[in-house]
Amino acid sequence: MKTKSSVTLGLSFFLLSVSAPVFAHHGFAVEFDKDNPLTLTGTVTKMEFMNPHIYFYLDVKGKDGKVVNWALEGGPPNVIYRQGWRKDTLKPGDVVTVKGFRAKDGTHLASCSTVQLPDGREVSAGTGGASKNAYGSAAAADGKK
Amino acid sequence: MKNFSRAPTVCAASLFFVLPLVIACGNRAASGNTQAATPDLNGVWSAPFTPDISKALGHQPPFTPYGAARFAKEDEFDDPLTKCLPIGPARGIQAGIMPFQIVQTPSVFTILFENQHTFRIIHTDGRSHPKDVDPTWFGDSIGKWEGDSLIVDTVGLDDRTWLDTAGHEHSDQLHLVERFQKVDNNNIKWTVTFEDPKFFTEPWSVTLPIARQNTEIMSYSCEENEKDRAHLRRTKK
Repeated sequence: MKTKSSVTLGLSFFLLSVSAPVFAHHGFAVEFDKDNPLTLTGTVTKMEFMNPHIYFYLDVKGKDGKVVNWALEGGPPNVIYRQGWRKDTLKPGDVVTVKGFRAKDGTHLASCSTVQLPDGREVSAGTGGASKNAYGSAAAADGKK
Repeated sequence: MKNFSRAPTVCAASLFFVLPLVIACGNRAASGNTQAATPDLNGVWSAPFTPDISKALGHQPPFTPYGAARFAKEDEFDDPLTKCLPIGPARGIQAGIMPFQIVQTPSVFTILFENQHTFRIIHTDGRSHPKDVDPTWFGDSIGKWEGDSLIVDTVGLDDRTWLDTAGHEHSDQLHLVERFQKVDNNNIKWTVTFEDPKFFTEPWSVTLPIARQNTEIMSYSCEENEKDRAHLRRTKK
């Protein structure tokens, strides 16, 4: 199946400037806390490249030495596929650093704004961060009026 | 792509209704039956993601007191999309995030949304709206060509859809009038007018550019791996 990037948006592979929050079926504010940003470094244990959002899981060692498995939510697979993501962009065993925002319910779940891949590239995961939408502020795109 | 689209995300019912339209369109194009004077808007398109339609308007819509009260208390927690319900006719264009495909024949103008794999059928065969329309997710749409534009009139809309992510709602009295004006082969000027005496004191309109996309609509299922609902929290007390 041929799927090319949008001519209009001029997307190129992993263009960080295209980092508008793109939640397919819910807004940002209803699930994640914009006042609780986090950075996690860990080992990928699983990748779910599925609708309505990609999910991947990281084993992260805390200061106490305990390992916690975090769930990271990215954008819709269709959207980030067009930005260059593939289902094997992250593989179990990859060590990555992610930036995002923690879930409001306090579980080990976070939105994922960017991922620093093992090769050093920092790529957008399609959620969080500043919006460059033409019609809607970042706050609006994040579900805040 | 074959790995990416492996999951059974295409609704069988959608295929049942949509495939004949696509085939019919292809047959007509092949036989040269498409009316020469009718603009050709076939293709894959996308509008700027507009999660807050008041930003495109420049201010809040002209709310009635009832509409203002509803907007003030509305919580994104209640967004029908969080329940994987259909996106609705206008929001599907301006805030569907994903592209949509237009498939047109002389008698119908179809919009196939990648978002949730839903679709609109706009009748362009000269019919009128039925006398009594039971509200549905995409309403009853009729269209007529005026020069370079298709004018679409839609009534009978289910009041459970929202106009955007920011929580602008409507009643089942919502009346949509859309103009799809072909600017050139790669651009459409889309103007939508919202009229709803229960929510708005007067009709109001926004215009957005729709641009052709060099892509194909892809598979989508909101329920495929839905894990968020259990984590959602109200944003208003």
